[in-house]
Amino acid sequence: MKQSPLALLLTLGLLNTPLAAFAATAPLELVQPISDYKIYVTEQLDELASHTRQFTDAVKKGDLATAKKLYAPTRVYYESIEPIAELFSDLDASIDSRVDDHEKGVKAEDFTGFHRIEYTLFSQNSTQGLDELADALDKDVKDLQTRVAGLTFAPEKVVGGAAALLEEVAATKISGEEDRYSHTDLYDFQGNIDGAKKIVDLLRPQIEKQDAAFIGKVDKNFATVNRTLAKYKTADGGFETYDKVKENDRKALVGPVNTLAEDLSTLRGKLGLN
Amino acid sequence: MNDLEQLNLQRRRVLMGMGAAGVALAGSALSCPAMAASPAQVTEAPSSDRTDDHQAFHGKHQSGIVTPRPASGMLVSFDVLASDREDLERLFRTLNDRIAFLMKGGPVTQVDPKLPPVDSGILGPIVTPDNLTITVSVGASLFDERFGLADAKPRRLNRMVGFPNDALEADCCHGDLSLQFCSNTTDTNIHALRDIVKNLPDLLLVRWKQEGSVPPQAPAKPGVPAQSARNFLGFRDGSANPDSNNAKTMDSIVWVQPGSDEPAWAANGSYQAVRIIRNFVERWDRTPLQEQQSILGRVKSTGAPMGGTHESQVPDYGKDPHGKLTRLDAHIRLANPRTAATQANLILRRPFNYSNGVNKNGQLDMGLLFICYQADLEKGFITVQTRLNGEPLEEYLKPVGGGYFFTLPGVSGEQDFIGRSLLAATHPTTTA
Repeated sequence: MKQSPLALLLTLGLLNTPLAAFAATAPLELVQPISDYKIYVTEQLDELASHTRQFTDAVKKGDLATAKKLYAPTRVYYESIEPIAELFSDLDASIDSRVDDHEKGVKAEDFTGFHRIEYTLFSQNSTQGLDELADALDKDVKDLQTRVAGLTFAPEKVVGGAAALLEEVAATKISGEEDRYSHTDLYDFQGNIDGAKKIVDLLRPQIEKQDAAFIGKVDKNFATVNRTLAKYKTADGGFETYDKVKENDRKALVGPVNTLAEDLSTLRGKLGLN
Repeated sequence: MNDLEQLNLQRRRVLMGMGAAGVALAGSALSCPAMAASPAQVTEAPSSDRTDDHQAFHGKHQSGIVTPRPASGMLVSFDVLASDREDLERLFRTLNDRIAFLMKGGPVTQVDPKLPPVDSGILGPIVTPDNLTITVSVGASLFDERFGLADAKPRRLNRMVGFPNDALEADCCHGDLSLQFCSNTTDTNIHALRDIVKNLPDLLLVRWKQEGSVPPQAPAKPGVPAQSARNFLGFRDGSANPDSNNAKTMDSIVWVQPGSDEPAWAANGSYQAVRIIRNFVERWDRTPLQEQQSILGRVKSTGAPMGGTHESQVPDYGKDPHGKLTRLDAHIRLANPRTAATQANLILRRPFNYSNGVNKNGQLDMGLLFICYQADLEKGFITVQTRLNGEPLEEYLKPVGGGYFFTLPGVSGEQDFIGRSLLAATHPTTTA
């Protein structure tokens, strides 16, 4: 006799099993890591603001070489705190949208920010017509600083941020689509990874209490990614362009990145957060 | 007028008189059993009494090769990310467990709702097998230096080399491992793929994938052989396929035999050739019917050989040595000249029609996901395709992707796992 799905679930006891496998981490235990994270984000934003200022100054002075050199190292600070920055979707769009977010491409009027400037610098090899875009970027970054300062950090956003950063890597960094004109994707890659690792590190005692084996596996995968990225570090502390990444290294990055994305997607649940 | 008709009439009157409010009422009454026979609602799902159909996972050979082809097919090629043999074994064992579950179906494990669910949920809390088969094959690149498998490589397994008419695109060619998914519905194949992707994030990376379909045919009339489905050229495809129900025929054409010159572990496996063959359908549709027929060598309406009346008829080329009836370079004549010598080149085809989107020129991107199986890749697909080189049909075709793979022998039972014989052949301590 065929059983209805519901009957089968009942027979198997699946509907009666208490499903909550993890005890919620006491809210008080999260106060310290969350406030430490806010300090980290604030520091990153301070760096972002001062580096952006230097970058936009070079752009406005027409110093193409300096502007190109400062482009990638400036963005790293944004990439490391992306889950928080993305909470302000208007600023995220004006600071960090990519050309394929716009139907009209580079000609779209609302295509502004880092990647629009990247296009002129690296694809047009010029600083022409960038003054307004440079000023707007400066202003947007300062605006972001002010807004984040007044923001209450929700624990689930912070904890979920680790997974969000890995999703960024898996979706746009592995394919080398983020910085399509400058090919400086590895800076952003490292920024995302560092930002995710920071969150894991701050929550380490709480995670260990819930699942010690988990933290070991996560650490191992972070180490593999960092080891592979380190192969492409240059003498000045920067990175080679993405086209230099060998196929076997790209593949060596995919496994740990996808596994980190899977594992970190359970982090909120493990800490009992909604 | 019976009760049901009375009810329907009342319902129609209510609907017509009450407008939107009536519709809302009718919607809320959907669960009422008395309404069961009323005309279906827009969003009512197409019904199928075949979602519980299932194929055996265990057996001498893998399923999905001589298994009748269901409506939906998908070929996915992967890069293997495993870094050593231990990882490779974990890959095979995990694949084994996932495929065994997906082909059988059953309830999905429920976890704390604060966690991501373990299953995509596409098929609901109870996975239905829906006639699913997942067939595992390995590419020549798996036998490189990474896993120490070089000595066990099937003798005829090499990276696919382009034929003269090919325009291979690097991002839809080759791969370390292929999975062929076949089931009654596309969603069942997608569910299975997502399950495998989620369970093997550190070991498998999707390299390319191609979905396809087989249009269902009206049931065969008693005493009349079943007719083959049509491809996107509008011709019946598969007419001359060998009899997949004849075990002896399959042993000689499809399955590597024990004691052959292949490595012992490969017995009961098969060579899988995959080709993504784009059809220039706009141009084909602008070609006179008689030319289409003479290029293919079959009558378009019936699928019969030239001059014949039924698809199942066998052309007699001996009586047509100069190609007056069937051109000497007609597709079916080159593919299978039906001589004693060319019996050695027979292959088992398992194709699906594919439709991907639109090319930059506004032409439709569609064609044939060609999959075939044979015991000897060189005598089989490679020889057949070599005979076809330069055929007039090439003007309407452009193979753009695919690869050669070796389909692993079947999994004998619970103690065995897919790929075990391959691992054991190069590392005798591998046991189940």
